Amino acid sequence: MSVIALSPKKIKKTKIWLISALLVLLLAVVAYTFLYLKHDATMTDVGNRLASPSWEHPMGTDHLGRDVLTRLLLGFRLTVGYSLIALAAAVIIGVPFGLLAGLRGGWLDRVFMRIADGFLAFPDTVIAIVLSGLLGPGIGNLLFAIVLVKWVNYARMVRSTVLTEVQKDYITIARINGLSTFTIMRRHLLPHIIGNVLVLASLDFGKIILLISSLSYIGLGAQPPTPEWGAMLNESRPYFQANPEMMVYPGLAIVVVVLVANVLGDYLRDKFDVKKEVQP
Amino acid sequence: MILSIKDLTVSHGEKTIVDHVSLTIDKGEWFALVGQSGSGKTMLSQAIGQLLGPNLRASGSVNYQESNILACSKTEMNQLRGKAISYIFQDYHGSFTPFLTIQQHMDEYLQTHGVKEKQKRNSMAKEALESVGLDAGFVKRYPFQLSGGQLQRASIALALLLEPDILVADEATTALDSVSAHRILSLLQELQQKTGCAILFITHDWRHVVRYSDKIAVMKDGKIIEVGTKQKLIHQPEHAYTKQLIQAAPTLPLRVREVSKS
Amino acid sequence: MTVIEINNLKKSYHPGKLAVNDVSLSIAKGESLGLVGESGCGKSTLARCLLGVEKVDGGSIIYNERSLANASRKALRDYRRNVQTVFQNPTAALNPKLKIKDSLLDPFLQFQDELQLEHFHFSSKQAFVEQLLETVELPKELGDRYPHELSGGQKQRVTIARAISIEPKLIVLDEPTASLDVLSQGAILELLASLQETLGMSYLFISHDLAAVHQLCQRIAVMKDGEILDVFQRDNIYDNSRHDYTKELISIF
Repeated sequence: MSVIALSPKKIKKTKIWLISALLVLLLAVVAYTFLYLKHDATMTDVGNRLASPSWEHPMGTDHLGRDVLTRLLLGFRLTVGYSLIALAAAVIIGVPFGLLAGLRGGWLDRVFMRIADGFLAFPDTVIAIVLSGLLGPGIGNLLFAIVLVKWVNYARMVRSTVLTEVQKDYITIARINGLSTFTIMRRHLLPHIIGNVLVLASLDFGKIILLISSLSYIGLGAQPPTPEWGAMLNESRPYFQANPEMMVYPGLAIVVVVLVANVLGDYLRDKFDVKKEVQP
Repeated sequence: MILSIKDLTVSHGEKTIVDHVSLTIDKGEWFALVGQSGSGKTMLSQAIGQLLGPNLRASGSVNYQESNILACSKTEMNQLRGKAISYIFQDYHGSFTPFLTIQQHMDEYLQTHGVKEKQKRNSMAKEALESVGLDAGFVKRYPFQLSGGQLQRASIALALLLEPDILVADEATTALDSVSAHRILSLLQELQQKTGCAILFITHDWRHVVRYSDKIAVMKDGKIIEVGTKQKLIHQPEHAYTKQLIQAAPTLPLRVREVSKS
Repeated sequence: MTVIEINNLKKSYHPGKLAVNDVSLSIAKGESLGLVGESGCGKSTLARCLLGVEKVDGGSIIYNERSLANASRKALRDYRRNVQTVFQNPTAALNPKLKIKDSLLDPFLQFQDELQLEHFHFSSKQAFVEQLLETVELPKELGDRYPHELSGGQKQRVTIARAISIEPKLIVLDEPTASLDVLSQGAILELLASLQETLGMSYLFISHDLAAVHQLCQRIAVMKDGEILDVFQRDNIYDNSRHDYTKELISIF
């Protein structure tokens, strides 16, 4: 899934720089939104609606006269923040569950596998749409739906890692030494899992941003006047012909952030997937 | 002399794996090639049958019946393999296709080399299995239905089916425990006496070398460092590395009467 | 003094077929007992029963005059502290994600509070690891490496260092040289012999290689189809009273 077509060596070098630079930039944006914002993102000014770019409003104003740049920046914080919350919740629920299912086995494992199969039978987006449709629109419900869809992936991955590793002699030896299940998890299994979880999470990060934005776009997620990017896209729909830039800005923002997330994922995968078990 | 290797060099890019090796193997001889893992002995054996992977390059010559095998075309090589040279490997599971029966494996060999009658193929396959001490009924079995020792026997039967002049045994017993290994090797010895084929026996286990071979070559870092008859290498090894190999292999002390005899 | 006693041990995986059939053995303090047999004869199963990885179906394992079957938690912990193991495949026996020093410290950290080390001395983790590596004749920098950076022989030395780190009374060696090349095999056997001399522990050395067993062990037991056929002192290996199967094994080497 490499985004840039270069020689592998060059990609690696470029990637590290690209990622570091982008991360710094993004952090700067977040810091800026906390420290200093000229305009209120939700304050309407109908007299100044759909204004062209000016020093006062570098990206112009929208149909209600709100400053687009301010909304975009705040939207970044919201979109990324929501995604991180959903991601963290999915990991926090999924990882322990996978560890337990893998190590304990028995009925717990069987029940878990049935649930996982159920979720896997449908695409993520479909389940998320159905769930947030059932629960009603709203960002809280959307996040809940996303977590419900995503935790299974983490639990499954961790479970399969655990199942392959517990058969190896070093776990047997740890058991012979009387290490408790918890110590075996923490000391011997976690190092195997962390890398995989980080890689999966960074790839999921982009997907979740897209999911939040697209569901907000169809009106199931964040509600106006929240400056969420998908919701912004939705709001700017009627003005697409006269003021296309109103749609281009949030769209571009989504593309850039998802791209960064994917590049980060690729990089982490390279970093953790080096086959360390190769025989000399 | 059945096979003579001259200045054989195998390289992978800049790296030389087999370094100007020259050897001659006589008819009906048990020739042991000893070395540690990474010494290049397997690459040497694979170069003989043109079995090297695409990234490896072999130069020099391997002469069999006055023709250089390394210069043979693909079709010529197909005729040589099995009839002139055949192989048995360490990984006996890998030597068989899991969804073909032993009979089907043998059929494939025999058909390639022009045995057209089904009747004849069937009887040859049964005979071959019996010659390695397996029940003739095993022809109908699939590889997974045989134990490790039995599979290695079947692979020997397969390798000797066309009565080759040279059998290359590449760590053929390493995956077996020493008891099964011994049984396999004494079987090989017996078959060798019957068929008169030469054996290029590649191993890291000095004890097997001592017991079965006529001639020994010691290989280290791609080079042959010492060649000689078994008697010579066991009793007067010249190279320090050969001495090391002899010393590292645990052996039982000689019985009292044997000591007094020698 | 007996370290461990196995009485009439039985273990089966498939009903009607005993993998270990009525085996009785004992190992004295400082003794090394060899257990020889072909693959599939039940020798590794016996080891797994001894190590408490498999449940036994009959018979008993006696340690400190008590049967393990009804041992208290404390007694079981004491048993684990005193019985360590080295397996055949050192690559599988080391966690590929842990540095060598972390793998080495595992047993020590587990039993730290109950240990009274005589030979080794713990002042700091670093010093302890270095001391262990030195004992198995490895350069002390290896502590900071990962397993894949070491050769097979080096890795097996590490697992040996881990086993001796808490000065157990018994080490179960299950084919410790089988996956190594010749030169490493010889070196590991020598190391094991010299460690036994310095640390005075007992070995149960399981192998299909009678010559290797003969080199390391004072007493040898021969196992076939789950049963012990023959037990003898090393020097009596050529006695006429040896079991026929033992004689067959001897003829191989």
